[in-house]
Amino acid sequence: MTVQAAVSGRGRRAHQAPGGVARRVRLTPVYVALVLLALVSVVPFLWMLATSFKHGPDVYTKVPSLLPLDRKTGAWAPTLENYEHVIRIGGLGRAFLNSVWVCLVLVPAKLLVDALAAYAFARIPFPGRDKLFAVLLGGMMVPTITLLVPRIHVTQELGMFDSGWGLILPNVASVLDIFLLRQFFLSLPSELEEAALIDGAGRMQIFWRIIVPLSKPVLAVVTITSFIFHWNDLVWPLVVLNDPDLYTLPLALQQLASTESGRAYYIMAGAALAVIPVIVVLMIFQRRIMEGIAFTGLKS
Amino acid sequence: MATPALAEKPAVTSRPGRRPRRPVFGRRDHLIALLLIAPAIAYFVVFLLYPALAALYYSFTDWDLRTAPNWVGVSNYTDLLFDQAKYPHFWQSVKVTLQYTLIAVPLTLGTALCQALLLNTIRRGANVFRLLLFLPVVTAEAAVGAIWRWLYDPQYGLVNVALGLVGIPRQNWLNTPELVIPALAFIAAWQCGISMIIYLAGLKGIPASIREAAIIDGAGPVQRFRRIVVPMLRPTTFYLLVTGVIAALQVFGLVYVIFSGGGGRSVTGGPEQSGLTYVLHLYLFAFRYDAMGAACAMSFILFVFILVITALQFRFLRQEAS
Repeated sequence: MTVQAAVSGRGRRAHQAPGGVARRVRLTPVYVALVLLALVSVVPFLWMLATSFKHGPDVYTKVPSLLPLDRKTGAWAPTLENYEHVIRIGGLGRAFLNSVWVCLVLVPAKLLVDALAAYAFARIPFPGRDKLFAVLLGGMMVPTITLLVPRIHVTQELGMFDSGWGLILPNVASVLDIFLLRQFFLSLPSELEEAALIDGAGRMQIFWRIIVPLSKPVLAVVTITSFIFHWNDLVWPLVVLNDPDLYTLPLALQQLASTESGRAYYIMAGAALAVIPVIVVLMIFQRRIMEGIAFTGLKS
Repeated sequence: MATPALAEKPAVTSRPGRRPRRPVFGRRDHLIALLLIAPAIAYFVVFLLYPALAALYYSFTDWDLRTAPNWVGVSNYTDLLFDQAKYPHFWQSVKVTLQYTLIAVPLTLGTALCQALLLNTIRRGANVFRLLLFLPVVTAEAAVGAIWRWLYDPQYGLVNVALGLVGIPRQNWLNTPELVIPALAFIAAWQCGISMIIYLAGLKGIPASIREAAIIDGAGPVQRFRRIVVPMLRPTTFYLLVTGVIAALQVFGLVYVIFSGGGGRSVTGGPEQSGLTYVLHLYLFAFRYDAMGAACAMSFILFVFILVITALQFRFLRQEAS
């Protein structure tokens, strides 16, 4: 039925006013299906939030509640003490700040490294350029897990194991992002650049004055996706950090889930701290992110 | 396919064939280009090329990360494949990973296609639904693991309550060997948003004229789906299949969070090792037993396996096309 609706819906759209009664009737099952799917998607988050605001005893009840209600009276009884606990005692406050710091340093640094390289690969002719770029792309085929152990070793040798730099430097460039940026730079018209070159502008001036302003959409996409990726990343911090003072939020959350497995209200408060900033970013940049994914998906 | 939205800037006319020839700038340009790519190339050599080659070398040694590696030839590989006493769970991890891939990838793609077809039908509220369906994707796997452990809780979990409403008895999802992989695959399908967006872009790329012509020719909706939508989406499906399989074979972070317990970093393979995915197994050998050589060998087996699968999938596609 969904298929039928999908196919015929597009067909008639051209001939019929959007508010037509027939269309509305025909679309009802589509909306019902979408509401159900959206509920499956969202209810886990609502339950996370509800649990995180509940008093401990209110969490473990026979009939679960999606609102922080008192187990006996059913009255509205939210609390912030779970958040207080995980932030103060569970170490998630510090981990939150660590994650903020890592992202504040890593994301712009990575963007700069990638954009400069992409600009050279797209715009400045030099011998062996395209072969070098092909080698870079070939590197993308190696699974991250294959690189993991030697990367740890390199990080140790550089004296950055178990440090903030060890979180940042081994992640400070991305071949995929260089590829995406280069693709976009290639699509920009070269007339402006040629004119600027004739006027005596240097390559760097052209980069900052012409390329960067014209490339805001793609720079935004790369920035947002790399923020989301590094804010969420668990595996690299897991293998490179030992010092709990340096834990990033996902790692601290994993530790919390491991040690406090009987206290769902603490774990859900911690999960909410990790999830909410990203959801806010998603809501603000929804269109950019979706377009970026469609673009990446179709390109690669 | 749809015009990539990012390339839609109105003033853009791309001329890849034409580049300004500027001999005056030649030399200086080379120097500038070198400076611009230097950081990326340095990163590439230190954190990609060297590690890849080093991993290959270490896979032939008995390295433990602290003392110097000893060359042991191919014994890591042969032991992994044939020495059940030394690596009792290697084949179990292969089995778990293949089962997971076989269930999770079709489930994810199917869910994503359904969502995309539905979203493509409506206009009012499409953005809101798209956002809601996309939320699980941007969620940290640590949080996903934590949330789903709680959802799958045998006594208080919402999953059992919801199933109870339709008369299905309570299950101990993460503690019953047969249910672990379906439970993990369901989480993967819950996070199908990226595939959904890519399918949606693919659907938008189907020209309306084709569908209208089919309607005039009297093709019913089912026929149109089979004859137009499915074939037109084939490249998209193929892309999602390849990337989906590659990702599923490497599933780790989520499983790690789901089966970590007892404090700190201790983690198990789930009940009767039913959740011991390949990379979790690899991780245990690398970071629990300090068997870096064996871990590197495992990672190369996986690498080769991924290359083979990808090549087969491409060949299959080409055969179908001809």
